[in-house]
Amino acid sequence: MNLVFALAAAVLFGAGAYLLLKRDLVRVVVGASLISQSAILTLLASALTRGQAPIHPLHDAPVSDPVVQSLALTALVIGLAVTALLLVVVDRVSHAYHTLTQDDVAASEAARDAVLERIGADPEALTE
Amino acid sequence: MSASWHHAPAWTAVAAAGTAFIASLASWSRGGTAIDIPWAPTLGLRLSFTLDGLGALYCLLASGIGVVVFGYGACYLPLHLEHERESPGAQWRFWPWMALFMAAMMGLALAQDLVLLFVLFDVTAVCSYFLIGFDRDRREARVAALMALVVTGVSAVAVLIAAVLLYTERGTTSIPALLAHSGGGTTMTVAAVLLAVGALAKSAQVPLHFWLPRAMAAPTPVSAYLHSAAMVAAGVLVVGRVHPLLARSQAVLDGLLAVGLASILVGGALALAKDELKQVLAHSTISQYGYVLVLYGIGGPAGAGAAAFYVMTHGIAKSALFMTAGTVTMATGEDRLSRVGGLRKEMPLLATASGVAAATLAALPLTLGFFKDELFFKAALEAAWPMRLAAVGAAALTFAYIGRFWMGLFLGTRRVTAHPVPRLLVVPIAVLAAVALLGGVFVEPFARVAADAARVTHGSVVVLAPAYHLDARPENIMAVAAWALGGLALVVPRVWRSTVRTLATVGDRLGPRRGYTAALTAVDHLSGVLHRLEVRDLRNSVAAVLVPGGVLAALGFAATPTAGAYEIGRIAPGDDLMVVALLALVVIAALAVAAARAHLHLVLAVSVVGFALAAVYAFLGAPDVALVAVVVDTVTSLVFVAAIARLPRDVLDRGGAPPAPPSGRRWRDVLVGAIGGLALFGAIWGFLSRPSLDQGIAAEHIRLAPQAHGQAVVTVILADFRGLDTLAEITVLAVAVVGVATLLRRGRLW
Amino acid sequence: MTIAVRAVARLLLAPSLVVAVAIMVKGYSDVGDGFSAGVLVALAVSLQYVAYGRRGAEAALPFLALAPLVAGTGLLLALAVGFFPLLGGKPIFTHWPGPGVHPTRIGTLEMLTAVVFDIGVFLLVVGVLVILVHQLADDEPPAP
Repeated sequence: MNLVFALAAAVLFGAGAYLLLKRDLVRVVVGASLISQSAILTLLASALTRGQAPIHPLHDAPVSDPVVQSLALTALVIGLAVTALLLVVVDRVSHAYHTLTQDDVAASEAARDAVLERIGADPEALTE
Repeated sequence: MSASWHHAPAWTAVAAAGTAFIASLASWSRGGTAIDIPWAPTLGLRLSFTLDGLGALYCLLASGIGVVVFGYGACYLPLHLEHERESPGAQWRFWPWMALFMAAMMGLALAQDLVLLFVLFDVTAVCSYFLIGFDRDRREARVAALMALVVTGVSAVAVLIAAVLLYTERGTTSIPALLAHSGGGTTMTVAAVLLAVGALAKSAQVPLHFWLPRAMAAPTPVSAYLHSAAMVAAGVLVVGRVHPLLARSQAVLDGLLAVGLASILVGGALALAKDELKQVLAHSTISQYGYVLVLYGIGGPAGAGAAAFYVMTHGIAKSALFMTAGTVTMATGEDRLSRVGGLRKEMPLLATASGVAAATLAALPLTLGFFKDELFFKAALEAAWPMRLAAVGAAALTFAYIGRFWMGLFLGTRRVTAHPVPRLLVVPIAVLAAVALLGGVFVEPFARVAADAARVTHGSVVVLAPAYHLDARPENIMAVAAWALGGLALVVPRVWRSTVRTLATVGDRLGPRRGYTAALTAVDHLSGVLHRLEVRDLRNSVAAVLVPGGVLAALGFAATPTAGAYEIGRIAPGDDLMVVALLALVVIAALAVAAARAHLHLVLAVSVVGFALAAVYAFLGAPDVALVAVVVDTVTSLVFVAAIARLPRDVLDRGGAPPAPPSGRRWRDVLVGAIGGLALFGAIWGFLSRPSLDQGIAAEHIRLAPQAHGQAVVTVILADFRGLDTLAEITVLAVAVVGVATLLRRGRLW
Repeated sequence: MTIAVRAVARLLLAPSLVVAVAIMVKGYSDVGDGFSAGVLVALAVSLQYVAYGRRGAEAALPFLALAPLVAGTGLLLALAVGFFPLLGGKPIFTHWPGPGVHPTRIGTLEMLTAVVFDIGVFLLVVGVLVILVHQLADDEPPAP
């Protein structure tokens, strides 16, 4: 089972990492969400015992580790909050820059920075 | 009324310096005091200050010269501010830094721990930055301040590295403990070299000397204090304190010797070439501290004693000379030798006082300076033959350039009128001149201070007995020869003038200052490149984490034994087979997410991943998690759809199926993702194959749940045992929603 | 199709509330806790939004505007249950009744402060998610 869990978590992470490198901002958010799912799967896979659900536990049969489950539950809810916030950020960026691709956002920012630099600092002030 | 209010900080500083001087004197005559407070006990760091001989010398120097210079500054600074058209309130910006500097300098003299030394080094560097850059509207001052800070601050890191090296080698950074250990080794030598480098930069020695002439952009009191007696003295203080460590390697001592000789030469030559008053004095400082380094390089009791005496005498004389330059500039409005001259008739007191100071530096009899050269020659006699010639040459050089300075100011034809200046601009110089004259007659107390300091440096008792001997001993012959040569050079300047001028131009073109400028420009350029490469593009940041992480994981995998480290694990028939099947579904869905073309496909695939994972959790005996996973996944899918529906129409039409990136880039993305996934696979499989040996708290929680009146252990954990986690989690939810509201409706929640 | 969705949405609202309460109350002895209950109710509410649109849903259910208040109440309730024991000198999250003491019962329900904490969590999750749906369901795009 270890191998299977490791494989699944690794594939989730790899897919998430691949999506994080995409230009489309929505795909970046999806990538982050996948990586979060990979972490939660690993968390549950690392339970020390596995058996019946820890509800009215019988003490002679193996019981699934409840601590790991509570942590995973917390992580799921926080993942939801973060994904929602990230998506709203992407929404605002798309409205402000009229694009969903990182390249165009970076290009507009670079253009704005160049204008600021021309107005602002004196580049010779550092040395003689 | 307001004017006198602004004078308050200056006189407070004078009072503080006076108190410090008296306290140091009292403490030294009583045999010294020590303070030792634990600072970081786990690292063995202590705040240990001890007033031993070396500490007493530098404390007396710093506070004594401080009293005089602060008094001078109290009068000079308002005139200077008026000249620069700044408000007199700027004095409040000046004196606190001067006072802090004096305190740091005294702390440096007393410090007995290398890390403490480093911290105080940096405090002095920061104070000097604000003091040199005091006329902050002038670009020249700002550039000079930055240069001083960068050169002395960066080389102070060498001191820290040396401290760390010594700590790893000997387990302590306390200087007495380090010096008590005997024995060398490469680490000790490297640490010694690093300490020397840090000290050299502080004392403005070749090749890190170029910041000192530029620092002359500071107001005169700053130069008279920092650049004659305090800041540059900090470097040789460190050399004096760790000298036993440096002396263990002859190469280090030879290095000190070489650097000192180079500084004497470069400083002296440029002092002969320069025209501006303060520049001459700055190069003179470089040259004089070269003497001190030569003496430390020679080592031995004679060298140590001579070096301590030299620092003391130089401080007194150079301070007076800087103040002279300041007074002359204030009186005539000129700051160049070629434009002033013949001031002896109009400013007789100044001429006499600065004449005494110049004579001290030139080592004429009846001044304290005579003995400094006597001790110097005595030490040089103990070294190899060439050293004696070099010593005579150095003394002649000093005679020549300081003679040129004084004669250029006060002898010759009068070229400019001198306005009368307040008494307080001349009296401090006279005070210092009087001290120098006094020392010329009663040298014994000064020799005692220097001998005490040398005892710390050399490690055993040093006897210094400078005195007038009217016989033909070698020191006297060398002294007379030096005066003769120097006098000759003064009388026939044409001999050396062109050589010195070419040297100055060459140094300017090819000198280390070019290196400093080039280094700063290169760093700025590199920062721009990195910013464009790494910060601007998020993907490069992500790849920059994943790829090295993967490489490191691979290296770790290759380096550790893998036999028996990985277990495939037991697959029980029944539930476990369902889990395997569902995980296969998860994998397929994840790959589908990666390959999805349109946004809708993306969302659908993500929700499949979520639901399949929920089913996996259910079969793993985690029904609570499964329930939450199902509902959370539903909400997530809803939020995705809502967000995509809100995208502006034109963006949606363009962005749904983005133009395929060049296939090279796509393969690069696949490769990076694969590297990350592979590294994680190895890590997780290894981690899962080695379950912890002790039970963990799970059994404890299961046992305690009925006492908490609950049968569903997970809920009990969430609401009772780990309630704080839950509280934090719901706070995260609340904060996220406030963030959403801020982004969408400027903070209105409803 | 829309009519069916609307009808189902309207019908599902009240039962989802009942189910949520049941989950919460049973949470201590069976599957479920405040989170799942809260998200369930929020899902039912979002179904209203999907079926009727933003204006229709908010016109039909005016009490939805209380969502920020509900969320705040939930957070305060949870904080109170957690930190109130500090006033009595006991560590945080010391629930009443303590171990070994029999809880008072009303019918089959047990009075536990842990359940009150869960109710706080439930209220907060409902409030937060309803606010989220409201923010996202806006018809007009916001000013850039």
